[in-house]
Amino acid sequence: MINFERVSKRYEHRDALRDVSVEIAAGEMVFLTGHSGAGKSTMLRLLMLLDRASSGRLLVNGNDVATIRGARIAKYRQDFGIVFQDHRLLFDRSIFDNVALPLEIAGFHPRDIGRRVRAALDKVGLLGRESANPVVLSGGEQQRVGIARAVVARPKILVADEPTGNLDPGLSAEIMGLFDAFHRVGVTVIVASHDLALISRLRHRIITLKEGRLIGGVGS
Amino acid sequence: MGQRPALVSWADHHRKAASQSLQQLIAEPVQSFLTCLAVGVALALPAVLWAFLQNVEVVAGNIQTSARFTLLLEQDVSLETAQLMAAELETRSDIELVEAIDRRDALARFAEEVGFSELVDNLHNNPLPNSLQLHPGTSLTVSELDDLADALVALSGVEQVVFDTQWQARLQAAITASQRLTLGVGVLMVLGAVLILGNTVRLGIEARREEITVIKLIGGGDGFARRPLLYAGLWSGSAGGFFGAVLVALLFWFVSPPAERLFDLYGLDRRFIGLGLPGMLILTAVGGLAGLVSAWSTALIHLRRAQPR
Ligand SMILES: Nc1ncnc2c1ncn2[C@@H]1O[C@H](COP(=O)(O)OP(=O)(O)O)[C@@H](O)[C@H]1O
Ligand SMILES: [Mg+2]
Repeated sequence: MINFERVSKRYEHRDALRDVSVEIAAGEMVFLTGHSGAGKSTMLRLLMLLDRASSGRLLVNGNDVATIRGARIAKYRQDFGIVFQDHRLLFDRSIFDNVALPLEIAGFHPRDIGRRVRAALDKVGLLGRESANPVVLSGGEQQRVGIARAVVARPKILVADEPTGNLDPGLSAEIMGLFDAFHRVGVTVIVASHDLALISRLRHRIITLKEGRLIGGVGS
Repeated sequence: MGQRPALVSWADHHRKAASQSLQQLIAEPVQSFLTCLAVGVALALPAVLWAFLQNVEVVAGNIQTSARFTLLLEQDVSLETAQLMAAELETRSDIELVEAIDRRDALARFAEEVGFSELVDNLHNNPLPNSLQLHPGTSLTVSELDDLADALVALSGVEQVVFDTQWQARLQAAITASQRLTLGVGVLMVLGAVLILGNTVRLGIEARREEITVIKLIGGGDGFARRPLLYAGLWSGSAGGFFGAVLVALLFWFVSPPAERLFDLYGLDRRFIGLGLPGMLILTAVGGLAGLVSAWSTALIHLRRAQPR
């Protein structure tokens, strides 16, 4: 489903990715690990079309993403659910409105939006809090709202960059458990994390990067 | 269920963006009021000039129709000859009415006007000649009046033609120049309004940078991110235009009593011309359009910069 073919990404003075080739199958759950600066975020940024590869090809569902430009980028991103380390919730609106945003973008009917938002909040254990402002939530709860927003439109691929980076170990395990649950219902899940102890416990493929090179987890 | 035809959800989002941006403006009442007031003042200026010119033109038009020539005849032309000349001149198509004035009547009227009746009574010789008072056709243009004046001077027995067509030509030129000025000021002020609104929209983008970035990250297009900004521009611009219309109405309410007295003094039975309802609507629409244009161009520049990271 996702196919990095000899992808390199060079920033002005350093290579963020060097000749990376790896394939991720539909429905698979993989971890992306490596030290800080290894290139994990860069891989995800290329996948989300937030940046372009310097060389090599990235195929998604058999299509070279280099051909996706202009207005089609937004449409492409709608197939993904994305979770950020700092959750990136909007504090000028309720939890409900935060989670509803992807549905509004995709053009759902207000009635369906209500139903789906509550279902997504239920999955992350926050049903009943939808009218609150996310600012009153704890860090772990905020990240769960972020996950609800990522999954509410039922994306085929869920991408998370250091989703537990700001959380203590107990909450981190809880959050990883949520990703695992989405994987079990068929979503392709890609989680970047440098917390090896945590991700080793969930038995999924671990793709390891070191200074932009793949050093493990190429085959599944 | 689920996703619906693009047009329906598009309309939904328009409705939502429209009401949300309105609520955001209302949530910042002082800031919004000041912006709208600034736009209103900018748009009021050309509107005032325009309405003022409308009134000047009406007055000028009426003065022109009440124009008349005074033909001072040579001293030896008798009243009878003057009356014959009058009858003959009246047959011309560019002349409406000619009246012969007795030199004695003219002196009496003069004495009355200046208030020196005694002094005038003591005059041995009446220094005034007999004269003709001539009303030209009402539809004559300034150059036709000039031609007429030339023809009258050439008549035998006519000493002098008193009629300054030049001031009318000057007035006409002044009106034309003022119209250009109004147009120029109008363009400048609308540009000013666009800039004021552009700055407001830019601040709005600044304040919503995180929202715009998140929208782009999770698959919202430029149109989706831009929509609330366009409505914010439309609302502030329309409100500004409406404020401007109210300002102009207040100003005219203040000006119209003395202006109408002035009309009265000119013998004109006219009401002062304000903006009227259509004018107010047009001003509101111009404001709204300025808001849209400015939001559109500002969003175009700044949304590009708000590339997600
Ligand atoms: N926009 C950028 N400009 C320049 N260098 C960058 C940029 N983004 C990342 N890098 C560099 O690329 C390398 C990989 O970064 P990143 O993918 O963020 O690593 P990780 O997420 O694994 O910590 C780092 O050395 C980083 O400094
Ligand atoms: Mg990173």
